[in-house]
Amino acid sequence: MPWNCQGTTWHGLLSVHLTAVAEEKGDAMSKKNLAIIGVGEVPTGTYPDRSPWDIIYESCIAAVRDAGIHKNDVEGVIAVAPQAQNQLAGEISFGKIPEELGLNGCRDVCTCNAGGASTSNCLRLAEQYIESGLAKIVLIPHVTVHSTIPVPDLINFFAKAGIDLQWEYPFGNTYNSIIAMMTRRYMHDSGTTDEEMASIVVSLRKWAALDPNSIFYKKKVPSVEEVLSSGMVSSPLHKRECNVLGDGGGAMIVTSAEIAKKMGKPAAYKRGESARYFSAFTTTRNNDEFVNGFRDSTREALDDAGITKDDIDIWNTYLAYPVCHPIFMEAVGLCEPGQAGKMFMNGDTWPGGKMPWSTIGDAVGRGHTGSGVSMATYIETARQLMGKAGEKQVPDVKYVFQNTSGGSGMNFIATVWGRE
Amino acid sequence: MTDYQKPIPAIQPWTREFWNATKQGKLLIQKCQDCHSMIFFPKKVCPECWSDNLCWQEASGKAQVYTYTTQMDMVEPKFRADLPYVIAMVDLEEGIRMTTRIVNCNPEDVTIGMNVHVVFEDISPECSLPMFQPADETLRRLPPCIDECESLATRSGSPVSPDTYETIIYDIGGKNGAVCTITLNRPSKYNAINYRMAAELIDAFRRVRDESSVGVVVLTGAGEKAFCTGGDLEIFPSLCEHKSSLNWLSHEGLDVQRAISGCEKVVICKINGHCLAGGLELALSCDLIYARESAMMGATEINMGLLPGWGGTARLPRSMPIFRAREIIFSGRKDYPAKDMYDMGLLTRVFKDDEFEEQVETVVKNIASKKPEALRMGKEIMARSVDGCDIETALSVERNGIQWLTYAPDVQKMMEGFRQKPSDLLARQKETNLRSDNK
Repeated sequence: MPWNCQGTTWHGLLSVHLTAVAEEKGDAMSKKNLAIIGVGEVPTGTYPDRSPWDIIYESCIAAVRDAGIHKNDVEGVIAVAPQAQNQLAGEISFGKIPEELGLNGCRDVCTCNAGGASTSNCLRLAEQYIESGLAKIVLIPHVTVHSTIPVPDLINFFAKAGIDLQWEYPFGNTYNSIIAMMTRRYMHDSGTTDEEMASIVVSLRKWAALDPNSIFYKKKVPSVEEVLSSGMVSSPLHKRECNVLGDGGGAMIVTSAEIAKKMGKPAAYKRGESARYFSAFTTTRNNDEFVNGFRDSTREALDDAGITKDDIDIWNTYLAYPVCHPIFMEAVGLCEPGQAGKMFMNGDTWPGGKMPWSTIGDAVGRGHTGSGVSMATYIETARQLMGKAGEKQVPDVKYVFQNTSGGSGMNFIATVWGRE
Repeated sequence: MTDYQKPIPAIQPWTREFWNATKQGKLLIQKCQDCHSMIFFPKKVCPECWSDNLCWQEASGKAQVYTYTTQMDMVEPKFRADLPYVIAMVDLEEGIRMTTRIVNCNPEDVTIGMNVHVVFEDISPECSLPMFQPADETLRRLPPCIDECESLATRSGSPVSPDTYETIIYDIGGKNGAVCTITLNRPSKYNAINYRMAAELIDAFRRVRDESSVGVVVLTGAGEKAFCTGGDLEIFPSLCEHKSSLNWLSHEGLDVQRAISGCEKVVICKINGHCLAGGLELALSCDLIYARESAMMGATEINMGLLPGWGGTARLPRSMPIFRAREIIFSGRKDYPAKDMYDMGLLTRVFKDDEFEEQVETVVKNIASKKPEALRMGKEIMARSVDGCDIETALSVERNGIQWLTYAPDVQKMMEGFRQKPSDLLARQKETNLRSDNK
């Protein structure tokens, strides 16, 4: 056993040591020092005629202007890695954004890739840039242009993303099929009906119809019957329960809480965070760990922020497909087990409802821009807290819960954001 | 098995034993001999204690369906022929959950909690895929007999259309879209024919029938080495089985010939390099055959103790004097220069290499300028005539075909003017003749 280093003993020692360090430092996790002070977006759509760089220019300039800073105030750039766009990923990784935008004050740059959880990690890295004194203001951009990726490359990417090449892929598994299997099991265990599942799409699309940055902006919201009459893709998942790929981009300007406060402008302050890793693949995912991970990380993030779930004004969830919305709602205790579908059906989660939920409509409502939906969700969180959310503005928002998740649901990052 | 087009597992050194066992119909589970954990997916070391003291235990093969989905749409082309198919996660008796397919039953009979047993699908020399079928035999549907039921689309990997062609190029061009060029596009394989190419050729030649602007189809090969050298060696293992071999001839072979000869356009074969065996038979299904002077031709099947099986023995003797056709088939030579073939009576024309493209283009352009309906009628009348019917029947087919063309609305419209002034017709015809004589 060459690698057996009597792990349990070491593990025990290490735990004791880390606990002591944490106590000595005080509860460092709760000292969040980050605020979003500016956001910019290019609406999700289809732009085969626009280069990714055109979108980067537009969204980043908008974010800098929204923050009311000068471009040379940006001292760090931490970009979301563009998925399935190798050439662009290489260019961004090797520092092209500060050069292209003429960010003459930039002191360092990097790219972060954790799939749909990338933006959360960009924000964490930004905290470190700021905490270490490297940067006072950081730009976090994202861009995706799916429409010019050759179809074979897209199929190839999405056929294998989050799917194991040895134990899942050869059987004909797809991203849709793994979600469909999760959906089937959830419906079986909870007694949730087809109509209730479809009503999640209806709820998400109601928000999307109010969002100028959504591909479904001002589009007719489908009825439950229309969702269920769309073609079956992977039973029980219908076409309207799957995501439409889109192009788009977004950018955020972040700084320390102190600077944001001094600037005296509306901002979104990071208040709490926690996370759980589950597994890379759905086959190996333990359902109990998954559900408990939702519950525990959310509770920890709320504790970190010093509030309870009753204080949350918006549950701004990014869960990609409908099924994880009710799973999360029930796991966190926002309704009785098996009752989440009814919450979506009776309007609690709709605009004007008592529990505003996923106010850009998640990927189903926004259009899927690779790892960009998490960026769009953070921008929405910031807009709601800044009072800039337009028609979908929820009145008097003090706290927003936001999560992200990467791969095929490999992890769950729970964050809490406040107006102050 | 060897023409399996779908993905095979990406085997790691530490999982090879699992896959080797599948070839013997065994489902193995990895187990840690130190902490006794059952491990799936198999790992290099135990994920619980990092021990490398691992062993394999044979599973009973009994499992229950944990969840499943019937895949109906939006899959990679290589899986399309399988639709609809059931993907499932099953819990093995031994406490392992794996992703698999549920097979040998109606998708609507699958339920959560259903008892299932492992069966193996042989997909490569290295591994078989562990699938599961209902334990309840009354729910089992007989597995399709591969030899009898395997469709062309299944064999070739996915449905075929110009958007998904992998082995040919389908291009409509020329003046007013009158020419469709179908290019055999496997130049690194001398444009050899595999199952996929057969399926695509059938699709392309059936599809072009409905292109009303097209009068001429040009069939050629990509690259400079070959037009086509016949069946790809990759299909040969599948010919070891009697029915599979017959199907290659009677399904793919016959359908390709029929698609070309029955496509209702003038098909011009443009032989730009080696044209051997099945490649020669493709050419024989066409209406006109033009070859580059340097092209080498022949029927090589006899060298393997076989005979041409995609129409060679039927079409070659119908295309040239039989004593010459016999030599080509019996000799197995693959070095007949194009000029020799022409002298023996086979080809339409042979052009010098440096003039080949230009000369063929002139021919194509000229024929493509003719009325597609007339070309179609001509192709059909002559095909029936050389089929061996008696002369009176042949003349009758000709007469009635021409009469049909004469009474086509556009021709009648033109005739209307001449009916009013018959002298115009005479003057026009005289002028045409003079112009032609003076060329």
